Amino acid sequence: MRHLAKIAAVGAAVLLSSPALAWEPTKPVEIVVAAGAGGASDQMARMIQAAVQKNNLMKQPIVVSLKGAASGAEALIYMKSSDGDPNKVLIAYSLIYMLPLSAKIPFNWRDLSPVAVIAMDQFVLWDNAGKPYKNVKEFIDAAKAASTPFKMGGTGSKREDQVLTVFMEKKTGAKFVYLPYKSGGEAATQLVGNHIDSNVNNPSENLEIWRAGQARPLCVFDKERISYTAKVTETQSWHDIPTCKEEGLDVQYLMLRAMFLPGKVTPEQTAFYVDLFKKVSETPEYKDYMEKQALKPIFLTGKDMTKFLEEDDALNKSLMTEAGFVAK
Amino acid sequence: MEAFGLLLHGFTVLLTGKTLLLMMVGLVLGIFVGVLPGLGGPNGVAILLPLTFTMDPTSAIVMLSCIYWGALFGGAITSILFNIPGEAWSVATTFDGYPMAQQGRAAEALTAAFTSSFIGSLCAVLLITFLAPMISSFALRFGPPEFFAVYLLTFCSFVGLGREDKHKTIISMALGLLLTGIGMDTISGQLRMTFGSTDLLRGINFLVAVIGLFGISEILLTMEERLALRGHAAAISLRVILSVWKDLPKYWVTLIRSSFIGCWLGITPGGAIAASFMGYNLAKRFSKEPDSFGKGRIEGVFAPETAAHASGTAALLPMLALGIPGSGTAAILLGGLMVWGLNPGPLLFVEHKDFVWGLIASMYLGNVVGLVLVLSTVPIFASILRVPFAAIAPMIVVSCAIGAYAIQNAMFDIWLMLLFGVVGYVFKKISIPLAPFTLALVLGSRAEDAFRQSMIGSGGDLGVFWSNGLVGSITTLALVLLFWPVIDKACSRVGQMLRPAKA
Amino acid sequence: MLLNAEYPMSTTDTEIVVEDPTAPEGDSPSVASTRSVDVVVSILLFALACVLGFDNWRTGISWDESGPQAGYFPFYLCVILGAASLYGIFAALRNRGEASETFVTRAQLRRVLQVFVPTLLFCIAMQFLGLYVASFLLTAGFMRLVGRIAWWKSLLTAFIFTAAMFITFDIAFDVIMPKGPLEAAFGY
Repeated sequence: MRHLAKIAAVGAAVLLSSPALAWEPTKPVEIVVAAGAGGASDQMARMIQAAVQKNNLMKQPIVVSLKGAASGAEALIYMKSSDGDPNKVLIAYSLIYMLPLSAKIPFNWRDLSPVAVIAMDQFVLWDNAGKPYKNVKEFIDAAKAASTPFKMGGTGSKREDQVLTVFMEKKTGAKFVYLPYKSGGEAATQLVGNHIDSNVNNPSENLEIWRAGQARPLCVFDKERISYTAKVTETQSWHDIPTCKEEGLDVQYLMLRAMFLPGKVTPEQTAFYVDLFKKVSETPEYKDYMEKQALKPIFLTGKDMTKFLEEDDALNKSLMTEAGFVAK
Repeated sequence: MEAFGLLLHGFTVLLTGKTLLLMMVGLVLGIFVGVLPGLGGPNGVAILLPLTFTMDPTSAIVMLSCIYWGALFGGAITSILFNIPGEAWSVATTFDGYPMAQQGRAAEALTAAFTSSFIGSLCAVLLITFLAPMISSFALRFGPPEFFAVYLLTFCSFVGLGREDKHKTIISMALGLLLTGIGMDTISGQLRMTFGSTDLLRGINFLVAVIGLFGISEILLTMEERLALRGHAAAISLRVILSVWKDLPKYWVTLIRSSFIGCWLGITPGGAIAASFMGYNLAKRFSKEPDSFGKGRIEGVFAPETAAHASGTAALLPMLALGIPGSGTAAILLGGLMVWGLNPGPLLFVEHKDFVWGLIASMYLGNVVGLVLVLSTVPIFASILRVPFAAIAPMIVVSCAIGAYAIQNAMFDIWLMLLFGVVGYVFKKISIPLAPFTLALVLGSRAEDAFRQSMIGSGGDLGVFWSNGLVGSITTLALVLLFWPVIDKACSRVGQMLRPAKA
Repeated sequence: MLLNAEYPMSTTDTEIVVEDPTAPEGDSPSVASTRSVDVVVSILLFALACVLGFDNWRTGISWDESGPQAGYFPFYLCVILGAASLYGIFAALRNRGEASETFVTRAQLRRVLQVFVPTLLFCIAMQFLGLYVASFLLTAGFMRLVGRIAWWKSLLTAFIFTAAMFITFDIAFDVIMPKGPLEAAFGY
């Protein structure tokens, strides 16, 4: 209840605040990235940094701090211990639901102050371009027929990549061996080197090897195709990748990319960042980035965001429970 | 020829005002830490590393590699002027360098040292330029078993070839490996050895450990000794430089031999320190007048310096191409690369061509700029030693604290640094080697991940480490190195038994 | 003549002499032998191996279908570490050379503590006063009290050093350092 009241207050603050009275950061703002350098969250943080700087959206500089240790748990704990500090913003993704379940990290996203959901990330099933199977059906048939199970690479353990793998197994009956790597980039190069048979990387993580003709996208785990129709490789655009459902593999998963402030910040402070990210989402840098990384545009804040988070949390929890990844 | 084109491209990336400026700053900082007692290469780079976190990777690596060259050059200054080796591999330089300074030939000795450093590094850089592309072409063959085999090789070579007590090397390595295990396990996503602490959740950052182990502990050790210094200030005139260079061709055999030893040992993990001693010993052995060594012979400066710097530079090759550092400083650079998301290893050459060739080009430029810089600034750096230790010591402590804190913005790390300082002090005094400890901290978790990924892939079959020629030969070599002392002894025993039988 | 022309520096060399008035005396009595420290360290390492080993045993040390469990490696490392430190205790007790070797003399220990205690105080002060104030106090205090350097020199050096650090890290590189009430008063 307290939380909803806060959100309502934020909404009110957005409406009522006048530029002269509005709160503004007085110190450099730290964007906290819950992943290693070069990963999707890091790239997003650098994009925001550039967009804010080039368009003069804020007086104070932005500092990106990477807190990817312990699969990103470091960032969560860091945010949790920064109650009331309005100069730290977390770029969150599905780990805010999953880590507390799988590793019993003492963290709950409800302790932080939600600011905005700024994008949804897709997942694509990829295989090595040198392999003979060209679509999902052939791939699954080959996986079923193989004498040793196919190897699926992914980022981290008991997280979105492995959840997707488990659900692919459940829907098709094929068996996969899941290999956890430290980053999506590593899973991508291991795919090129034929050390794994497939991965379920985000579009951005496999973009380069797709363009180099080393990886082949089989299907995208969403209800609808990716909307971007500009050619990415010589012959294909993101839109040309079929959905997994079209291909007879009914598994869907989208991952949020959202901004959070630490707990116990004032409504004026939250309002400043809501406004800031609204402006960021209108910059050309942001639009360009969204298209390049094939992210699904979305902008949720206030009550809409809280509602979305609650639903998303419930969904992730049920997936994790069904996959058997919840620590006892 | 592709290498040459890429190298030229690397030069064009570097030849901007900003990069050259960063290069100078890096060199000056490097010489500074190289000259400071108790700092030296690995510590200096470790402390200065966080400075570069806010830069883009190319600027950062240019600055870091220049700090590295600077530290290499700087080590020679104190060895010659004050008989204090800034680094372990400068020890051999003091044998003839200090006597030369005492005879009033300090300028000559310094010129010899810098020039031979330059020649040594240049040879190693040439080696890197032409070998690196070959190494990258078989880059993609590295899957988890291959990675594990390479890590195993590194660890085994430390245990098998180290000169310390075996059980102390094992203690040092096991402790380092254990400490890397703290925190979250990548493979299972479980927490280990955190005892419910949120500070331990992050794991122990190896840079924090290194700053404590080397920086803080070195100050404690230095305090124990008598701090009185007696040395010679020196200025270098163009005339001395030219006269030394004129004599250079006379020593070509020594220079080539030392370069070769340096390159070879630098690529072998952990061999960098041995190189300078080996270079010196061989020069002495093959000399016509071995007795004049140790009394101020210029060849006695050329030989160890060339070898030390060739090995220091060559140590970067296994770090870049295979992800195994050949020296302590290289190990810290390795950590720096990972911070920028550049995963050193075979794929670095495929994925980050720009970066790799930028780095190689910066090795050439850094060396040339460095040589000019050190030759012209020697008197200034030598005068640092006139600053009382009581002023230098707290500054080193503060730099260490800044370095340790900046890595993860955690106050806990300051305490960790202090703890490792005490551990380092005690370990050094009871001769538990710190190198395996550092190595284990850097590579431990990656080795474990690679092993377990291999096991998952093969369904728990250890045979995967002999599943093809590449991984099989590396694994076998690792085991041979691990049991080398035993094998060596067995071989000589068999030899002894055969000889009387034949007689 | 020729010699002088070859080595013109010899005449212009100035000798640098740095005296150390507080150097430890050579004949100071020994506080501990290397052997006893070796034994104590080995015992501590053994204890550490036991504690960590127990925690890993709880995590799971078996070998399931997907290779070793999370605690497998650390557990066996604990076993190795434990065994090596037990051997270490044994080897140290047998080693006569180490028994006569001095780990640290009383004078040396005093000097080491002269650095260690201020460093410890510095770390504590950093929690409350921030890094910069603490480093000013450490530098000035250490120079004055340990190095017996004149007050004005100590304070000036400490101030310049701290200011240089502040400009480098906080202003030039945006590295966020712990700060205390003083910086807050100036609005940083």
